[in-house]
Amino acid sequence: MTLTSVSFFAFVFATLVVYYSIPKKFRWIVLLAASTAFYAIVCLKYMPFIVFTAITTWLGALWLDKVTNARKEELKLHKTEWDSDTKKAYKHKTLMNKRWILTFVLVLNFGILAFIKYFDFLAEWISGLLHTPVLSLGILLPLGISFYTFQSMGYIIDVYWGKTTPEKNFAKFALFVSFFPQIIQGPIAIYDDLAKQLYEGHDLQYENVKNGFILILWGLFKKMVIADRLIVILNAILDNRPGLYNYYGAIAILVYAAQLYMDFSGGIDISRGVAQMLGINMAENFKRPFFSRTVAGFWRRWHISLCHWLRTYLFYPIAVSKSFLHLGKWIGKHAKKTEEDLPADSLWGGFTFMEHAGRVIPGCIATLIIFLIIGMWHGANWRYAGYGLWNGIIIFISMLLEPAFRYLLKKLKINTQSFGWIVWQILRTFLITMVGFAFDIGNNMSDSARMVLDCFHPFGMASTVPVQLSIGLKTSDYVIIGIGLLIVFAVSLYQECSQKSARETLIKQPLWLQWVIMIGCLLCIVILGMYGPGVAANEFVYMNF
Amino acid sequence: MEEFIEKLKLIKKGVDFENETELFDGGFLDSFDVIQIITMLDEDYEITVPPSEIIPTNFNSAKAMFAMMQRLEDE
Repeated sequence: MTLTSVSFFAFVFATLVVYYSIPKKFRWIVLLAASTAFYAIVCLKYMPFIVFTAITTWLGALWLDKVTNARKEELKLHKTEWDSDTKKAYKHKTLMNKRWILTFVLVLNFGILAFIKYFDFLAEWISGLLHTPVLSLGILLPLGISFYTFQSMGYIIDVYWGKTTPEKNFAKFALFVSFFPQIIQGPIAIYDDLAKQLYEGHDLQYENVKNGFILILWGLFKKMVIADRLIVILNAILDNRPGLYNYYGAIAILVYAAQLYMDFSGGIDISRGVAQMLGINMAENFKRPFFSRTVAGFWRRWHISLCHWLRTYLFYPIAVSKSFLHLGKWIGKHAKKTEEDLPADSLWGGFTFMEHAGRVIPGCIATLIIFLIIGMWHGANWRYAGYGLWNGIIIFISMLLEPAFRYLLKKLKINTQSFGWIVWQILRTFLITMVGFAFDIGNNMSDSARMVLDCFHPFGMASTVPVQLSIGLKTSDYVIIGIGLLIVFAVSLYQECSQKSARETLIKQPLWLQWVIMIGCLLCIVILGMYGPGVAANEFVYMNF
Repeated sequence: MEEFIEKLKLIKKGVDFENETELFDGGFLDSFDVIQIITMLDEDYEITVPPSEIIPTNFNSAKAMFAMMQRLEDE
């Protein structure tokens, strides 16, 4: 049962009918039952994994809460009796207890994720180094394991930080971990943003159902009409990869970028649409990433929920840790202090280079670590590490040289707000991210590097194409892809320029026009969508994460 | 407070720390500047800012940062 199957929408319809038929206070139970049933239908064999994560996280959070409350009581009881040193020692002791509990739960859950995801890869790598037979675990990834693990671990860190009150009811917490529209490919939710919405029953509202329906149609259009055609082209190129790069490599990278975006954002739209029909607002995961003007900006608009998670729970804790603060101080101490007050628009933004380096290097190193994790999150292969590091290194260099770039632009009198400059920045960012995507589709690091380098091969443009590539699509398919991409581009451009949601604009139109557009979109999916006999159902790319 | 603002000005020159109330949300400060401010608090005031305090509302104005500083000092 994939997000585009008839059975999934029958399942959603049944859930909606039951959800809105029973009293509001029991509606969360319908969601839990639906989520449990969904997981069991799709992935019954691996259900113990998600149950294990839910139980250990729930118990861990309650344990943390118990320690926190005992600490408060104890401090209150001895408020006048204890001196500040005794209080400090007691606080430290309880903090260490909490830290141990958190570490235990994190290691347990991330350990399982890492073991299942990377065991085969590491075993193969090590056996290659030692020339011994390969030991393989040979199990598939449980559905949504990366997403529900990150989401649950975010919850327990929030409880540890005192940002969130732990949920006492296990069944309610299990719903937060397994909510069915998001289990396949996210978005990764923050407990305080999602849980309350799940637990309170929502009234049946025409606007919610209509908005959700529009979002589902838009997601289906991107996935079934565009992404599932693009994947045919991509597979045809990648299946014939020996000797087939040069401009085919460039085409493969571009097709992959478009396919991945249509597939992933389409799936997220369907998930968010289903949730909205239930009255639940899930966070956005994409914000027109290909309009980004910097690589850092791209990562603020692409897979937003993962990047937010990593920034909140990893980047800041690393960057403000004692060792990183000491590193910044150490570099700062070795900086030659400026004798005169440098102006803010000087070469290094009012500092010497070393002073500036001391300011940004701890953050830059934390950024590199985060991107290495983002890379490895995408898959068990060194090329994914390359994918992460490519993006991380670009951001590292741009942060380090940022004041110098600004200084140069000012000296060259370049208007950074001009249309031409903005278009140049968007194109530059697009090309840099395309190089990153080559790591995603290459067989290994050297294959990815070859794919990129061959794009610049001066003599290879036509003469080295070894075979007539048989893609298996008709001319009409290419026309549909072209028109489909143009429609998505036009909608994105409208959103980017007006900063308005296209859906909001649509629902302000006369009712007859709204329905004409919705029915037109539905017909378009039914007539032009890739499904039925002879067409292999393509799973969502991020389903196996 | 005045001394604190002077220290902020050394971290990010050219920003109106006296009046701006959207320092983080408005893009006047980025995550790298926030890390610098936290380093300064650690170095000059011996205040450790835990990651849980790194939220936009705590860094949107000098006043908010100062309030966070005092709160952490009391703890």
